[in-house]
Amino acid sequence: MTSEMTHSLLYLDAVNVAFDGFRAINNLSLTIERGEMRAIIGPNGAGKTTMMDIITGKTRPDSGQVYFEGAIDLSRQDEVEIARLGIGRKFQKPTVFESHTVNDNLELALTGTRGVFATLFHRPGAGSDTRINDILDTIRLTARRDELAADLSHGQKQWLEIGMLLAQDPKLLLVDEPVAGMTDAETRETARLLREIASERSVIVVEHDMGFVRELDVKVTVLAEGSVLAEGSLDHVSADENVIESYLGR
Amino acid sequence: MTILLRAIFAAILLFSSLHQAGADEAELRTIIAKFASVKKFTDTQSVINELAQSADAAAVPALKALADGELNILKSDGTVVITRKEGDGFVYSDPLSGETLGTAGKSDFRKVKIKNSIRRSIGGLLSSLTLGSTDPTVRLQAAEALFSKADPDALAQLDAAIADETSGDVRERMLQARAATVLAGDNDPEAKLQAIAVVSGRGDRKALAVLNAFAANENAELVAARQAAIDRVNDALASWQAVQNIWYGLSLGSVLLLAAIGLAITFGVMGVINMAHGEMVMLGAYTTFVVQEIIRTGYPGMFDYSLAIALPLAFLVAGAVGFALERGLIRHLYGRPLETLLATWGVSLILQQAVRSIFGPTNREVGNPSWMSGAYEVGGLVITANRLWIVVFCLVVFVTLLFVLKRTRFGLQMRAVTQNRAMASSMGIRTPMVDALTFALGSGIAGIAGVALSQIDNVSPNLGQGYIIDSFMVVVFGGVGNLWGTLVGAFTLGVANKFLEPYAGAVLAKILMLVFIILFIQRRPRGLFALRGRAVET
Amino acid sequence: MISRFLFTGADRKVFWTIIVLLAVAVLVPALNLLLPTDHPFHVPNQIVSLVGKYLTYAMLALALDLVWGYCGILSLGHGAFFALGGYAMGMYLMRQIGTRGVYGNPVLPDFMVFLDWDRLPWFWYGFDQFWFASLMAIAVPGLLAFAFGWLAFRSRVTGVYLSIITQALTYALLLAFFRNEMGFGGNNGLTDFKDILGFSVQADGTRAALFAASAIALALFLALCLFITDSKLGKVMVAVRDAESRLRFVGYRVEHVKLFAFVVSAMMAGVAGALYVPQVGIINPGEFAPANSIEVVIWAAVGGRGTLVGPILGAIAVNGGKSYFTAAFPEFWLFALGGLFVAVTLFLPKGIVGSISSFRGRMNTQSALRSQKIADMEAAE
Repeated sequence: MTSEMTHSLLYLDAVNVAFDGFRAINNLSLTIERGEMRAIIGPNGAGKTTMMDIITGKTRPDSGQVYFEGAIDLSRQDEVEIARLGIGRKFQKPTVFESHTVNDNLELALTGTRGVFATLFHRPGAGSDTRINDILDTIRLTARRDELAADLSHGQKQWLEIGMLLAQDPKLLLVDEPVAGMTDAETRETARLLREIASERSVIVVEHDMGFVRELDVKVTVLAEGSVLAEGSLDHVSADENVIESYLGR
Repeated sequence: MTILLRAIFAAILLFSSLHQAGADEAELRTIIAKFASVKKFTDTQSVINELAQSADAAAVPALKALADGELNILKSDGTVVITRKEGDGFVYSDPLSGETLGTAGKSDFRKVKIKNSIRRSIGGLLSSLTLGSTDPTVRLQAAEALFSKADPDALAQLDAAIADETSGDVRERMLQARAATVLAGDNDPEAKLQAIAVVSGRGDRKALAVLNAFAANENAELVAARQAAIDRVNDALASWQAVQNIWYGLSLGSVLLLAAIGLAITFGVMGVINMAHGEMVMLGAYTTFVVQEIIRTGYPGMFDYSLAIALPLAFLVAGAVGFALERGLIRHLYGRPLETLLATWGVSLILQQAVRSIFGPTNREVGNPSWMSGAYEVGGLVITANRLWIVVFCLVVFVTLLFVLKRTRFGLQMRAVTQNRAMASSMGIRTPMVDALTFALGSGIAGIAGVALSQIDNVSPNLGQGYIIDSFMVVVFGGVGNLWGTLVGAFTLGVANKFLEPYAGAVLAKILMLVFIILFIQRRPRGLFALRGRAVET
Repeated sequence: MISRFLFTGADRKVFWTIIVLLAVAVLVPALNLLLPTDHPFHVPNQIVSLVGKYLTYAMLALALDLVWGYCGILSLGHGAFFALGGYAMGMYLMRQIGTRGVYGNPVLPDFMVFLDWDRLPWFWYGFDQFWFASLMAIAVPGLLAFAFGWLAFRSRVTGVYLSIITQALTYALLLAFFRNEMGFGGNNGLTDFKDILGFSVQADGTRAALFAASAIALALFLALCLFITDSKLGKVMVAVRDAESRLRFVGYRVEHVKLFAFVVSAMMAGVAGALYVPQVGIINPGEFAPANSIEVVIWAAVGGRGTLVGPILGAIAVNGGKSYFTAAFPEFWLFALGGLFVAVTLFLPKGIVGSISSFRGRMNTQSALRSQKIADMEAAE
């Protein structure tokens, strides 16, 4: 157990969270390895988003262990500290800084100065420019570099947000329903993008779209009522009796 | 010992019953006539003392007139008369019969001069003389006055009055007055011990004053008894004070609740920041004023029904303004709370100025109907009728609102719309209309609150301004979107404020409450009864 | 640096506003003092004091805009910082009166003698020194903003909740300063000032100097705000305004950013108040009234929040309107002000300057599109 804890990138054990008596997360245990991409599926209210809230410090667990890189207790850190540790998060609804240009969005996300006075006297260097160019290339937004984020299409905002995550250079990326509301072409493009990202870091994807999950072709964890119901390949879990039952809501 | 006391008592009774017969009118007239020849204050005092000796209630008008400076002497013939100003001159009458004798100018009279010490002795004398009045309330007042005065000379009259008294209440007061008198006079310790018990039985501030004034001398038993009695009275007073504070707090809480309850709908349920909420309260108050004006000029007999007429009208007026405000302005600003705040603030300025232009900037007079004036005394607790009605009224409004929200079709639709607008709309609920009506309801309730507040506050264009911050504090403190939270919040803040006031003073208490709420919101940004969970944050 | 100022449109506007302010700081006092009163270019005394007052209002509006327009914090209590700065200066001016007061007490201000106080309260120490009072005019609002902001932002009190408690803050201060026991002159406040730095506050020269000081201070604040908003921190502030929680997940301490903006803004408001008091000759608890603070919001909104020049124009325009209306149609001023609140939020959410910029922006894109089309057509031919 301890070896699992130290070797894994993210380690959740026996985590519980209740909101006014409602148990959102119920004895949840989950391990993500370095460099692994994991898809998390589950019916509404299974606790997927709450799980992400716990990992990113938005919600504190009532009990249980949440460890990052084997040694860092995430339940004692807040969002900012966790973000600085190298955990990035993409929200379900794309949230970018709408009154900033695409370039400024990426520049803000870029690793480096974060403090108030450091940013006050910060002057962007040439190194950051090449980094931004690379990311713009990856997310296919080079042409729209100087446009306001507000003017991007829904899909482009999703990509910009993923681009911002890349700029943060995280060790672990949490992605919440990245293809909700996307066209088929955009969905395929996003899957490609995520696979590209996963080549260098660990990624957790929460998704409803089974086609998309199949396209990712990674290990799947099924959550239901706040705990893990099944784990394995998509074919494996979709054959699982419990999973069928919970999805059909019998 | 008791036998001895009884004997004394009996003797006194006999003596005073003789007195009770009173002096005849001629004798009184001779005494009063002496006022014409007094030269010094001491002379005046001795005439008054003679009147006291007579113990005749017929002397009361003359003494009252003397105290009020209306006892004069006609310069022409030296007759002592009571004068009353009428037009430019004075009507003068006989001090005993009250019969009008004629009119004269100011210069025709010479006033019987008195000073404060004399005025005081007249006061005491009047109470002992009125002990024999036929009106029980007058007798009660007389007994009370004598209790506070504790004049040893009044003992005989008191004993006589006690013997004749038929009303239990009055008799009790007289016995207390007698006890106070005993303590003040030169009586034996045993009598004083009993008197201490009687006085401390009252348990109020007046009793404390009498006990404090009583010098126990060197008698150890008396000193101890006095101290014990003072402690007892203080304890009683403290607990009554606490009860009184709770009452004041509930009363303040009910005012806060009335002001905030409409806001609990518009801000709490709909999430609309209506800075013109206070002006809805003000409109309700002005509606009451207009209703009373019309009644005053046209149908004076209906005055007691003025509030009953004003209530529905205030609801309609404020509700209609609220409806128009939602349709015309707020609906364009949904999802932009800060803009809503600014725009409604603008509306509040316009409404204030409109009322100021129509009704003038000064306070307007709104009267209390007869059933709302007066006060009730329960032990050491004083409850004024208007405050009591307002507490009752705010609870009725609260319960009605709760009923509307939980048990009516409109309430159901309203909750549906606030919880999931899209779903409600697709189920055929006309969401814009529900929004407008909900806002109108909240505003209408503010109008009703205005009717109640017109009874205890100045009706001026600034009326609403005084309540807006408090209302927001109550709603935020109680927890947004939770009517029960608003109820608990209002009464908690009300009571806490009143308990702080004795220590900190009214203004500082208010400041402390504001600081407390500011700190509280930092601890629990969503109030006392906040919902927790993921859904709340989105 | 200056070439960078001239780089973008918004910066250019700020640059020119600074130039104009500095020119006004020199010209108006000169035209007031040097020209004879009957000269057509003479600036009358009352205009100098009126515009001087507007300039301090403009500073307050600019300060509010830094937190509201850029950082998304709608403070309904900025009047409190303004008033605190004003009181600090007022205390200095009170102590300068010395024996010239009604009671002639060399140390105690009149109201303290009237209240039978036998000695100066400790918090009045040091205010006989101009430098100390000036320092306090900045430090006290700054410290209050720091304490309040530290509590509020750390607990993530945001949006209207924050607005309401800032309003409660200034309301609490209003009640507190009304109390005689507070030692700030109670209801009447501080007034009957005699001189500042040895010059009579009534003198023409002092008036002109205060005007120049206000214009220069405003220009400096404008430059400071430009420096802040143009930096990466400025971008972070705008990001706080637009998507606060997103920014946290990017790793920024949102509460620190807000605290910085709030404290800087409060200090600016304090300076504005300190310059305001000697020009109007009185400071009383009425300055803490919540209504005053909300009025500041409309100045910034009318001019254009999220722009630096907008709040200055807004403050001057609205107050100019106020001076005109309250003299000509006193009945209608509140109707006009109330209508302004409604109209701006409904029809002009970006304010005058913001609307002009976006209108120009649209025009530019349209003309760019047009020329693109023409170019395409020409190429096709």
